[in-house]
Amino acid sequence: MAKAYTPGLKVTARTTYRVRRLLPVTGDVRVKVGELVSAETVVAETFLEGDVFPIKVAGMLGANPNELAALMLKRVGESVQVGEVLARSKGIFGMMKTEAKSTAAGTLESISDSTGMVIIRGAKTPVQVRAYVAGRVAEVIAGEGVIVETDALFVQGIFGVGGETWGPLVIAVKSHTEDLREELIVSSMKGAIVVGGARMTAGGIRRAREVGVAAVICGGIDDADLRDVLGYDLGVAVTGSEKIGITLLVTEGFGDIAMAERTFQLLLAHAGKLASVNGATQIRAGVMRPEIVVALEARGSSEIFTGGATAGILDIGTAVRIIRDPYFGFLGTVSALPEQPAVLGSGSKARVLEVALESGERVTVPRANVELSST
Amino acid sequence: MQIILSVAAARMCAATACAALCAPLCASPSASPPTPPLSVTAADVPWDAGGSIEISWVPAANLGSATTWLVERSEIGADGTSGPWVTVAEVAIATTTTTAAKLSHTAPYWFRVTAVGSDGSSSPTNSPAHTTAHRNFFIGEKLPLFSAILTVCACVIYFILAARKGRPMKVRRIAALEAIDNAVGRATEMGRPILFVAGIQDMDNIQTVAGITVLGHVSKTAAEYDATIEVPTSRSLVMEAARETVQASYLAAGRPEAYNADLIRYITDEQFGFVAYVSGRMVREKPATCFYMGCFYAESLILAETGNSIGAIQIAGTAESSQLPFFVAACDYTLIGEEFMAASAYLSGEPDQMGSLKGQDAGKAIASVLIIVGVVLATFAALSPGGFATAALGALRGILGS
Amino acid sequence: MRIVATDCGSTTTKAILIEERDGVFRQTFRGEAPTTVEDPFADVTLGVTNAVTELQELSGYKLIADDGTIIRRASVNDVDGCDMYISTSSAGGGLQMMVAGVVREMTAESAKRAALGAGAIVMDTIASNDRRKPHEQIQRIRELRPDMVLVSGGTDGGDTKKVIEIAELIAPARPRPRFGSEFCLPLIFAGNKEARTAIERIFSGEGFALSIVDNLRPTLEREHLGPARERIHDVFLEHVMAHAPGYDKLMEWANAPIMPTPGAVGDILQTIAKGRAINVVGVDIGGATTDMFSVFGGIFNRTVSANLGMSYSISNVCAEAGMDSVLRWVHLDMDERELRNRVKNKMIRPTTIPQTLEALVFEQAVSREALRLAYVQHKAFATTLKGVQQQRTVGDAFKQEEAGKSLVDNMALDLMVASGGVLSHAPRMEQTALMMIDAFEPEGFTEIAKDSIFMMPHLGVLASVNPRAAMEVFEKDCLVILGWCVAPRGEVRAGKPAFEYTLTRGGTTLAHGQLVGGEMRLVRFALGESGTLEVRPEKGLDMGAGAGKPISREVRGGSVGIVFDARGRPLKLPHTQAERRACVEKWLKSLEVYV
Repeated sequence: MAKAYTPGLKVTARTTYRVRRLLPVTGDVRVKVGELVSAETVVAETFLEGDVFPIKVAGMLGANPNELAALMLKRVGESVQVGEVLARSKGIFGMMKTEAKSTAAGTLESISDSTGMVIIRGAKTPVQVRAYVAGRVAEVIAGEGVIVETDALFVQGIFGVGGETWGPLVIAVKSHTEDLREELIVSSMKGAIVVGGARMTAGGIRRAREVGVAAVICGGIDDADLRDVLGYDLGVAVTGSEKIGITLLVTEGFGDIAMAERTFQLLLAHAGKLASVNGATQIRAGVMRPEIVVALEARGSSEIFTGGATAGILDIGTAVRIIRDPYFGFLGTVSALPEQPAVLGSGSKARVLEVALESGERVTVPRANVELSST
Repeated sequence: MQIILSVAAARMCAATACAALCAPLCASPSASPPTPPLSVTAADVPWDAGGSIEISWVPAANLGSATTWLVERSEIGADGTSGPWVTVAEVAIATTTTTAAKLSHTAPYWFRVTAVGSDGSSSPTNSPAHTTAHRNFFIGEKLPLFSAILTVCACVIYFILAARKGRPMKVRRIAALEAIDNAVGRATEMGRPILFVAGIQDMDNIQTVAGITVLGHVSKTAAEYDATIEVPTSRSLVMEAARETVQASYLAAGRPEAYNADLIRYITDEQFGFVAYVSGRMVREKPATCFYMGCFYAESLILAETGNSIGAIQIAGTAESSQLPFFVAACDYTLIGEEFMAASAYLSGEPDQMGSLKGQDAGKAIASVLIIVGVVLATFAALSPGGFATAALGALRGILGS
Repeated sequence: MRIVATDCGSTTTKAILIEERDGVFRQTFRGEAPTTVEDPFADVTLGVTNAVTELQELSGYKLIADDGTIIRRASVNDVDGCDMYISTSSAGGGLQMMVAGVVREMTAESAKRAALGAGAIVMDTIASNDRRKPHEQIQRIRELRPDMVLVSGGTDGGDTKKVIEIAELIAPARPRPRFGSEFCLPLIFAGNKEARTAIERIFSGEGFALSIVDNLRPTLEREHLGPARERIHDVFLEHVMAHAPGYDKLMEWANAPIMPTPGAVGDILQTIAKGRAINVVGVDIGGATTDMFSVFGGIFNRTVSANLGMSYSISNVCAEAGMDSVLRWVHLDMDERELRNRVKNKMIRPTTIPQTLEALVFEQAVSREALRLAYVQHKAFATTLKGVQQQRTVGDAFKQEEAGKSLVDNMALDLMVASGGVLSHAPRMEQTALMMIDAFEPEGFTEIAKDSIFMMPHLGVLASVNPRAAMEVFEKDCLVILGWCVAPRGEVRAGKPAFEYTLTRGGTTLAHGQLVGGEMRLVRFALGESGTLEVRPEKGLDMGAGAGKPISREVRGGSVGIVFDARGRPLKLPHTQAERRACVEKWLKSLEVYV
């Protein structure tokens, strides 16, 4: 039997979702194993080391670096304020003394006798990690963070921009083929996760940002509209840290493309519930796809999913999505898996498969150009 | 312009007419004194600073034995009496006009013309009325210069405006100026100082000024790289100017604390005393980079050779054509004449400076074209006199005020 | 002699078998398997075993023992086992380094050259004149998570202050290594020897594993990269590899040190350039990055264009080059909005392949621009040393050349080697040849070849232990000779004669003809054939012997043949879209690119 591995996006009605919530550096965990947390709960916090400010004190005094230690008024470890005098030159007969003032606030970390540079370490900045999804603390990793677990509806998107956010799930369109137009966004959607059908239009995105929508989820987006939102042409798909005030997530790809009906129906069924969305996408070593998580009441699910990329086995009858032109976005099932490579329209030789489209038509496409459509 | 043309044309016509008239007559011998001119007129020369009157006369049909014309003037004093006759000029017989110069522009003058020959002089013919040389608001002969200035200014303004609008100004790459970063970098990596000599002349020399401009750029780069720059000077004023410039550069580079005025010092006005100091300093301190930017004489080769022997990168710039070969041979890069003067515009890249550089270039281009055209016409005029080239050359001379 | 070589890439591990038969080394079998560095396997040797198992199945020799290790045979007469095993690795994103120096154009650039030459990706270069304020530099150092840091600066006996200053910025910034937060960050110092004591003191604290090597710029006139490069390799093995899963075992298996993949590619190209005394340019265009190698006059240079690639970075290529530049190579009607969306779709689904001819034409147009941009970057980096004293005579007054001129000279270029998916998997060889010609604009006579199955990394390591074997396999099995590009330097006039050519072999004329400006012509010259090609360029056009001077050269046949290119250099395309399309279509037709 011909089989092949192929990547796919996970869209599942119920799964046990486990998420690692870790600090960038070691710190304190604020919750215990078994504790129930909401999306906003701070699960761990710490302080990041302050910024470093070098000041060329010897130069300011016109002194030799090796004389600097004797001229310093502040010692290593002392705290300094902006404008505070760090060192004073001897001057001529006690007159005409020059002073070196600090240009930064923090703690004096070191004094160099070879370059005359003094290093001030700024105040530490607090870092907090929240739970992101409502659930139960399954595990505590001492000093680093926790693993939160919950039963959830889990939908992986293909691409997103903007970071983590959460809010009530609101369905703005009637069907999965309807574009998210400007007039569909109303002011009551402030802070919500808005689900559209097909493409999110430029007007729709603009209105959503005006209203203060937390996140928009659609089937597709136009490249030009994404460029307008970001203010630049995205070169490499590593996203999540954009500061655009909204998280955008597409489930299918770029262009006019409807959301897969199954995905839409799943989201529709949970309208009004609290959803967590993360737009962060990273398509390089260690693939990361954007996601929508809706926490459900615990009922015990056998399957455990921890995010990341998924893959499955391609077989006759498997539901697939074609992900490259000329059939981009078409859904269907595998109807044949020929062993021998075939010559494509482009002249290349590649292994192919035959897909029976929803319309009944059968098309042949390279195996590399399909992904599993609902796993 | 029109006036000059017509005056020139009038002169030419008069000359040819006269030559045609007297050619057959001069040949016939005669013993009687020459015939005086039929009439004499005097007119103030227009478009001048005053002090000149043009006198012209109509010779008689039969000149007799006349060989020259004697032109004389008489000044009318404040009391209305005329003074003695003073010779204005003695001109060849073919000529019928002359200009009396260096006259007072307040007093009126009488003029008279006498034909002089081997058989004595004719009776003089007087000008019918007295004439005063008036001062004019515009001096006609400066008009070509004026229009040249206008053209160059227009070019400069046009290019400045174009540059401000963001039109790219293409300037040829000057390797010597591009190499400044490299030269300063070398000093930084080697932990040695940079030596900058701005010539041995004072601030009134334009080359010294150009050198100080380059110093501004070099010291800014040095400040950015945190390299040490030493500037020995042979004039106290140059030292002051160099200090101001270097300090401003350190400030602009955001490192005012690194500026050290003691490194910019006055040595001596004595040419060879200065050279002895600089050479000695070079041999002892071994600077990694030496700049010579300004007016140099005999010391050019002494400095450049010393610098070469210590393995420094050397960049020179001077407009002294006699010193250029020495610099070219001994230095890594040399700014030649105009390049040196254009350095400030090149280095700053400011639209105003670039525009003015471009505008001046356009002016120079126009001048070059005129020179070439003139040379070509003069060559052809010499080869075939009286042809088209002669006329065109005459016209060109007329336009340019001969 | 039987050699097994593997290259552990970030996605696939490729194994090849090299055997000596009748005194000649040939590559005989190849196999591949997914790389197993990441979870759930977390042991690189599993992938190696799988790939070598494929070799074993194909060759019929037993190469893998029951415990999964590679069998070494006791004598060359044994049927099973191999005599030598070697490997390269670029798994886990390769070797990522940060470098620092005093002046960006001098010691910092030499440090960058050393790191790139050793096969690293340079994440950032810190220099005292990089126009960043010290605190900005510190911020940047803190953000990066390099595998290794290389610090240089000052000539021997030269500057110490600035080097120490840079060290004093790096030390408190405490850059964290990419793998394992508890392991010390390797730091190599290759600067002024007089600064060594101070450097030792600064990095004596915890968190750094300092090693000191000879200055890589002992004087500004001399670059001495060898010791620094070798130490980078050592540190790569000792520190970086030792922390990657399974590499301790792999190092034990291998007979030669494991090299970073690009470092090995650089080594084989240097070996070839030296062996044949030619100038070579090699390119490897990947999904995310493009690696460019060159050897001109014996000087090796490598650059990595981090965001120029054909899948992950395809959108960046279009953004950097501009869609207009990409579309100038396309002769078909395409809707720009549609294309932009397709580019983004390729970016988010990087593994897809073009199915239609239209999609292939577009991808190959993008690849031309990616290669062109990468070559521009390479030319700017591969320069002579800067900050060097020049010797002049009075005759130089009006042609003072600057130091730091690019070493890359398309006229002096003898061989171009293409590798990477879009080039080596193009359905027709003519497509690969034309992509290379359009992107690199070679001048004069230039041979074009492609790396058949990306074997260069294996051969690079092999060259370090058995140069003869590496050379033989490189010539016979690694390179697929496509043919020659013959193009004059200078501006051509459209429709006016550009040059005449005559191809002869032993007195018989095989081909003769004349090209006019803007024309391209393909003369088939099969693989294995050779002959003499004489070219007579028109006035103002240079084929290598000077403007207007005829030149003749021995040429070898290839799977494409000889491409005569009379489009002029630099290459200019017509301005209007209609004319440009007609031109491109004419070229594609005459070279039989898409049929």
